[in-house]
Amino acid sequence: MQHMVEGVIVVNTETIAGKVITKNLGVVGGSTVRAKHLGRDIFAGLKNVVGGELTAYTELLDESRNQAIARMIADATARGANAVVNVRFATSAVTAGASELFAYGTAVVVE
Amino acid sequence: MSEPIIGLLVGIGILFAIFGILWTLFFTSIFVYAALFSTKNIEKMGEEVAQREAQTLQKFGKDPLSNIRKEYRKDGQNSGLVYANVVYGPSYWHLMIAWFGNVVGGQINILHKVVSTGRALATQRLREQAELAGWDEVLNVRIDTAVMTPITSPNGVKAVEVFAYGTGVKYKGSGNE
Repeated sequence: MQHMVEGVIVVNTETIAGKVITKNLGVVGGSTVRAKHLGRDIFAGLKNVVGGELTAYTELLDESRNQAIARMIADATARGANAVVNVRFATSAVTAGASELFAYGTAVVVE
Repeated sequence: MSEPIIGLLVGIGILFAIFGILWTLFFTSIFVYAALFSTKNIEKMGEEVAQREAQTLQKFGKDPLSNIRKEYRKDGQNSGLVYANVVYGPSYWHLMIAWFGNVVGGQINILHKVVSTGRALATQRLREQAELAGWDEVLNVRIDTAVMTPITSPNGVKAVEVFAYGTGVKYKGSGNE
């Protein structure tokens, strides 16, 4: 759950506080599919019988999301952007125990 | 067939039988545990979240989260993404109650309670993340809910993921530096 990566500003609003957008570089995105190893899956299955939070999957999705955001930022910096605005997330369950996380936004240059 | 092979087969059969009996006992005992305590656990979690929420609200002086889409103040200094998630599921006992509720129809109270507790936990974590990062306010908060297991393969875990995100903003001269 980091908040700023290598000086690139990432927000999900259309504008950035105290900055002016000077250039629009188009939509950038990053996605990832990850899974936990079988042991964690079995343990999560047992935890599911009792109910409550499934910590293994909370961690899994958090790690995946960090990776998706990192890839999105890499895409943005490759285009020469220094900020990504209007970021959105999409989650889709590919199969039991593995989800695809997708982060996308508009790469911009701000001053 | 020679004797050692028969012995081996019988041995494997006995091992499987023991494993099966142990598994049945184990599963039954955790199911009974779930029937007795899972509702109480979820209520306890709900109370804990409400307590943490009250603390955070006191610290900020108001609810830091809002879903206003733009900065409505001119003195914004710094901003960045904040997000938090939780995977939360009902117990098998709850699923059984829900199945009966499904037959009768109407609101299924227990699943409503489970999912709303999960959502409260995720939004509270978002507030705590915002506090940790030193933001004064979080704008454009979105709360997504996604099922963990696709409908096409219904044998996975029965849980939903709640994901809350927004843009943290820090204002000039806020004293929250």
